[in-house]
Amino acid sequence: MLVTICIGSSCHLKGSRDVISSLERLISMNGIGDEVELTGSFCMGECAKGVCGKVDDELYSVSPATVEDFFNEHILGRI
Amino acid sequence: MKRQFVTDINMIKYEVCVEVAKLAFAGELEARRDEIPYTIIPGNTPKWRCCVYREREIVRQRVNLAEGRPAVGTKTNKNIVQVLPAACEGCPINRFSVTSSCQMCMAKKCMGACNFGAITFEGGRAHIDPKKCKECGKCAQACPYNAIADLMRPCKRACPVDAITMDEDNIVAIDEEKCINCGQCVIGCPFGAITDKSFMVDVIKLINSGAKVYAMVAPAIAGQFGGDVNNGQIRQAIKALGFEDMYEVSLGADFVSKNEALELEEHVKEGKKMTTSCCPAFVNMIKKHFPQVLDAMSTTVSPMTATGRLIKAIDPEAVCVFIGPCIAKKGEVIDSITMGGADYAMTYEELASMFDAKNIDPADFEGEMQQGSVYGMEFSVSGGVTNAVLSTFKERNEAIDVKVCKANGALECKKALTMLKLGKLPEDFIEGMACVGGCVNGPAMINKSRTYMKDRNEQIKKADDRGVLENCAKYDDLEFSMVRK
Repeated sequence: MLVTICIGSSCHLKGSRDVISSLERLISMNGIGDEVELTGSFCMGECAKGVCGKVDDELYSVSPATVEDFFNEHILGRI
Repeated sequence: MKRQFVTDINMIKYEVCVEVAKLAFAGELEARRDEIPYTIIPGNTPKWRCCVYREREIVRQRVNLAEGRPAVGTKTNKNIVQVLPAACEGCPINRFSVTSSCQMCMAKKCMGACNFGAITFEGGRAHIDPKKCKECGKCAQACPYNAIADLMRPCKRACPVDAITMDEDNIVAIDEEKCINCGQCVIGCPFGAITDKSFMVDVIKLINSGAKVYAMVAPAIAGQFGGDVNNGQIRQAIKALGFEDMYEVSLGADFVSKNEALELEEHVKEGKKMTTSCCPAFVNMIKKHFPQVLDAMSTTVSPMTATGRLIKAIDPEAVCVFIGPCIAKKGEVIDSITMGGADYAMTYEELASMFDAKNIDPADFEGEMQQGSVYGMEFSVSGGVTNAVLSTFKERNEAIDVKVCKANGALECKKALTMLKLGKLPEDFIEGMACVGGCVNGPAMINKSRTYMKDRNEQIKKADDRGVLENCAKYDDLEFSMVRK
């Protein structure tokens, strides 16, 4: 599973760095590091929805406050 | 300031970046980006192409990439190296072609050499049937007049990993599964139809937002902004752009030398081979084309990541921007978002554009600085990483015998990795650099004048002779890891 987080300036200011470190922590806590690849991306062109995150090809809106729900539903829930 | 460009392609790329940077600094990019093609290509007389409309479309696609967006359409893709479809001339794909030098000789060695019956004679010269030609090149070798030209597309010829293909309209396409972002095709295409995506606008927007943005300049910078303009002056100019401060990546390189030497010592003791991991195109080559030898790759972070971690150990709020001669570093940033090193990567071309957008010339500033050792500064030259790593053994007064394979350029890297994969590499340590000569010959150098290496060496001569370990010890109170996670 490929999880992509936008690192464009708009998403950066909305906390993409926190989202990334939270996801990394959650991935390692759940021991799914071998199944999930976490990577960055240029601006996804959906700045209003930021922080933009993709699970494989599907686009989601995530924030430092909602990152745990996002992880449970769209990452852990699909493994 | 007046700049000299390697080619007109570099000039256009630069002019586009300057205009994009101007509008981004002014916060007017959204409203005025459509003006840029007309600013760059005014009037009705085309300079390079069939018409001004095509020239403007190329500029428009360049603006998109300079903003980090896809050249055409909305489909985002991960690769840094991207095609500008409007700029591709769809070069002839019949690789071997008979030229007017053909003498219609009696021997007809070309015909004799061809194993596929592709050569006939008509109209006073030899003719190659493209349907039968297998592109073996035997006819070209056989011709005593060198009358058969090898017209392999320059992009395809430049690519070390066979990632270049053509679409149905003969426009170049990049196989992103194979591409290592080395940038050789960017330099190789004589029409400038391949270029790199940019984080420059993101960096400008963050500066405008008041974020604490730090620049980390790669050591190939010496001499890039004027032969005698030193890093102290560049630091002041970078601060005038709105950056919080500037660090030298040669400092991070010193930490890499220290850590990689310890790692190498372990490997040698256990009789195992090891490769460097600081060149991102070399790392991509291992990951994508030689995954069997991934275990041999050093687990030390790159100098970019080391410098970023060092800055964040001092200022956790820091946004760290690597600035270098390298296109592949942008890909390293994307691949290493979890490492807590660099947040963005830019090139010297883009930095120069930002200076010009704000009418800033580093030569107008005063300053001196040295954060890295001379060994760290020479990381950007082929052989430099090896010298730096081995220097730490000397500094510790230890004699460790290491046989080194200096793989200078992507083709040598491929050869060395093939040998390693087959278990036939005689050496213990591969120093891999995808650019021939090292980073100083990188695809995004701004100054490649006749004297640039001389200027660079003059500047480095002025640096003090601190040792790598001695230099790292100055930062002993900072805590940051040197290992990839």
